[in-house]
Amino acid sequence: MSFWEEFFPALLSGFTETLAILAVAIPVSIAWGVVLGSARVYGNRLVSLIAAGIVGLFRGFPLVVTLLILFFGLPELGIYIPPFWTAVLAFILCSGAYQSEYVRGAIRSIDVGQSLAARALGMSKAQELLYVILPQAFRRALPGISNEIIYMIKYSSLAYIVGVTEMFSVSKRFNSLYFRPVEIFFTAAIIYLAMTTAATIGFKLLESKLRIPGLEVEV
Amino acid sequence: MDVVLRAEDIHKSYGKTKVLKGVSFEVGRGETKVICGPSGAGKSTLLRCLNLLTRPDKGRVWLEDVELTSPSVNINKMRQKIGFVFQEFNLFNHLTALDNVMIGLTKVKKLPKDEARRIAKEALLTVHITEDLWNKYPAQLSGGQKQRVAIARALAMDPVIILYDEPTSALDPHLIGEVLEVMKELARRKVTGLVVTHEIGFALSVADEIMFMYNGRIVERGPPKEVVFNPKHEVTARFFKRISELYGGRK
Repeated sequence: MSFWEEFFPALLSGFTETLAILAVAIPVSIAWGVVLGSARVYGNRLVSLIAAGIVGLFRGFPLVVTLLILFFGLPELGIYIPPFWTAVLAFILCSGAYQSEYVRGAIRSIDVGQSLAARALGMSKAQELLYVILPQAFRRALPGISNEIIYMIKYSSLAYIVGVTEMFSVSKRFNSLYFRPVEIFFTAAIIYLAMTTAATIGFKLLESKLRIPGLEVEV
Repeated sequence: MDVVLRAEDIHKSYGKTKVLKGVSFEVGRGETKVICGPSGAGKSTLLRCLNLLTRPDKGRVWLEDVELTSPSVNINKMRQKIGFVFQEFNLFNHLTALDNVMIGLTKVKKLPKDEARRIAKEALLTVHITEDLWNKYPAQLSGGQKQRVAIARALAMDPVIILYDEPTSALDPHLIGEVLEVMKELARRKVTGLVVTHEIGFALSVADEIMFMYNGRIVERGPPKEVVFNPKHEVTARFFKRISELYGGRK
């Protein structure tokens, strides 16, 4: 069997694993980012403080360290999850913390009149956030969120550290066997590039789909 | 007189600045009352103290027989009954005109969608927002249209009273008329209203009373013609002289 005949199917299964990680980590991290960002602005003092603590922690830890802490630390606490989920959890915690800052900034940027109008209608704080503030803030946070997601696509390769056989780990293994680094890593890089490009296009489409007519300059 | 809104000795300070120094008045069902006075008199603050968007430091507010300022009152529940129209419209930017009017009905009053839509359409037609504008977003509407949608949003909730905070001050002069016209129609239909405005023509044609505020107090009140043309206080006289000079012969 030739090198490529062996490498391609393996790479494909690694690619599938990478996609599986992202399929969970992307939506959940966005949701987590929205929750954290909202909690910081709309939570009471305690909730806001806890959210700020979580954000500070996971923005402060290097991702590799978070990964290893979860990998070795969770079993110590009696929590046994497969490496795949350890990686997914680490990515959600890290990316969610960054994304929450975009969400927080976006919430802060919404004109106070929107809140006043919501309250004057009789909305509770939660209703105001859910029906008036977040729909507008999320749109403003979207470019920042898309940036974080593109970043996540690439650092999903760090899952190899805890033994997840995703695309990078497959590439690394094949390189140790065949030592054809240029072909192997270049192929992987092209596939990462394809994914980030797809994400960029996807988010652009989402942004234009969500654009509020008349509110922003169309270019 | 069936009093629907009563304010009693309202005080409010921001830091050392006393904005309201004991304001008391009442509005009867079906009445339209106008509050005017120079900037900094405390008009907007007073209005916001009435639905507790700003909490007064001292004093009490009743809506019908409920004391809003009582700590046990669910203020969200009570605010549904107090329409509020802002100077800057504050329509929800991400919603169409129709949805702006519907959202209070569906989310706050929890009405079924069909019923909410029917009420919202009726309210929009009342303020002369025609069907072609229902699916426009606020950014696609003129200032006058926005403010009329905002009035419809308040009206649709079937409030006990509508508070208007300088509703025409952010409008281009040629758009003021269409908003005032709608407000006059509502006043004639006996929708209870409390209006902060400098539009003396509006006050003269539909208001039951003008309250003139100066420096955190109501210094003069009475029938519009009397207050405007025969003011008793010097500050009131000076104010209306300035206004009439500014607006010339416009009614």
